[in-house]
Amino acid sequence: MARTLAMFTDVSLCIGCRACQVACKQWNQLAPEEPEWTGSYQNHAHFTDKTYRLVRFFEETDATGQMKQWHMMSDVCKHCAQAGCLEACPTGAIYRTEYGTVNINQDICNGCRYCVSACPFGVVAFNHDTGTATKCTFCNDRIHNGLGPACAKACPTESIRFGFRDELAGKAKQRVEELKKLGYKDAQLYGEDTNGALGGLNAFFLLLGKPSIYGLPDKPKLPQRNVIADSLLSIGSALLVGLGALVAFRSRDDKGGA
Amino acid sequence: MGPGLLKSADWPLLIDLYFFLGGLAGGAFVIATIANLLDARRYRDVVRMGYYIAFLAIIPGPILLIVDLGVPTRFLHMMMVSKPSLEIGMSALTVGPFHLKLLSPMSAGAWALLGFSVCAFLVALDVFLEDRGGRSMSVLRLVAGVIGGFFGFFLAAYPGVLLGATARPLFISAHWLGALFLVVGASSGGAAIALILSLLGSRARESLSQLMRFTAFALILQLAALALFIITVQMSGSTGIAQALAKLLAGPYSLAFWLGAVVVGIVVPLALQLGGGIKKAAPGMTALASALILIGGFLVKYVIIAAGQAT
Ligand code: SF4
Ligand code: SF4
Repeated sequence: MARTLAMFTDVSLCIGCRACQVACKQWNQLAPEEPEWTGSYQNHAHFTDKTYRLVRFFEETDATGQMKQWHMMSDVCKHCAQAGCLEACPTGAIYRTEYGTVNINQDICNGCRYCVSACPFGVVAFNHDTGTATKCTFCNDRIHNGLGPACAKACPTESIRFGFRDELAGKAKQRVEELKKLGYKDAQLYGEDTNGALGGLNAFFLLLGKPSIYGLPDKPKLPQRNVIADSLLSIGSALLVGLGALVAFRSRDDKGGA
Repeated sequence: MGPGLLKSADWPLLIDLYFFLGGLAGGAFVIATIANLLDARRYRDVVRMGYYIAFLAIIPGPILLIVDLGVPTRFLHMMMVSKPSLEIGMSALTVGPFHLKLLSPMSAGAWALLGFSVCAFLVALDVFLEDRGGRSMSVLRLVAGVIGGFFGFFLAAYPGVLLGATARPLFISAHWLGALFLVVGASSGGAAIALILSLLGSRARESLSQLMRFTAFALILQLAALALFIITVQMSGSTGIAQALAKLLAGPYSLAFWLGAVVVGIVVPLALQLGGGIKKAAPGMTALASALILIGGFLVKYVIIAAGQAT
């Protein structure tokens, strides 16, 4: 496997210009959509089959409901090291590339939509026109030709950076320290730790506060972790059912009772 | 706030129907197999009807699944693709063009559906030939019956495990959905056999009352699994749990849940059976109780899936 590629998004540098969102649409030739009124600058509310890159806007309020801080975060598929979408996919359409990214092969996907509900971040979207699931690929065609993803190229503040994961991780840690010195005491990395949740995210973030401020789960969980425990409970109940049937059919009618 | 970002597969009623019929088929098959192993002659009616119902109930299964796909012509991709990718998950087994992903219940379920259908067809054919005056190939019936029985259990349970392996707040910390779906399959399989036998005016009063004894037991398990499901979800305390659970228990789906799944589907039939019906096995009473169990068996799956998928 080649060296893992990753994307580092530093929200402290984001100015909410949405150049990334536009560049993504253009490069991936995603069709226009009706604008959505979300009550903030954010448009759209969610990732869709035509929006793989989405700048989210959050207004953090204090206890009295007064506006405290305005947050912007350019969000994208995390290309999780342990990806719920990939593990769920029954057709093998979702695969991991030699760079560690997660892609959907549009010629294999049969549109079962399991991945849509299995992503812990609500990233994958179902395209009703093609009948298949779609999401960000880190611009698979570009990165295989030595170009960075379109969003990272377009970002004017270098809030989005793309490169080798190990290098980016080092820079990210430095940046947290800098920000802390500047007084942003809640600055923290999200998804950088490869021993952390989901084995680390290949799109990781520098946040200025708790993940929940940005609508991100504190501890995202791989849904497939449940399969073994849930199956064991099912086997237990199967044994009970089998036993019940044996007892019921062994009993004589005149004995009665359940 | 996390759950607000999550998406839903929006599986429609077709899928609920498949889950219900698959569970019913699996349950009926297992009951027939056990009755066949215990005393093939004495329980001939149960065995015949169980195997027939299992076969008939599974026929719509693949059709419902295929119709629901975004690209129906690619149904076979569930099991095989001509040019598979190399890295398709940590639990993937590939042999040539075929693949099975052990941690993806949808992948395993597709194979189980195939295996079950083959067994259900063979056994139903054997019963049919015997009905026509031929001799049963008892070895075939035994082998296909036992193997198909394992597939039958699998078919009933896997949709619950599948839901548990999504990121939906109501499902991800539920853990009991597979067990619940399995016992619902058992109760609806038993009820389907009993319903048809009582409608046909079967002479086999004895098997009918034993069948009802079994479904009563399955209903008690069903109640227990339902309670364990709710308690486990409640106690997990994960984000979005309160709202997700409220949808089911107090919100838009509460009527279908409490009145449909609990009262009509479990409490009333249980009361009918424990209150004397079980001993006498009056055909009218049995038919009524069985019909209610079937309605409840569908509703409990439908309502949990609908509440869990609602945003
Ligand atoms: S963020 Fe979602 S879609 Fe992206 S790799 Fe992870 S599980 Fe898959
Ligand atoms: S919709 Fe396509 S990519 Fe998603 S799980 Fe199904 S087959 Fe895989």
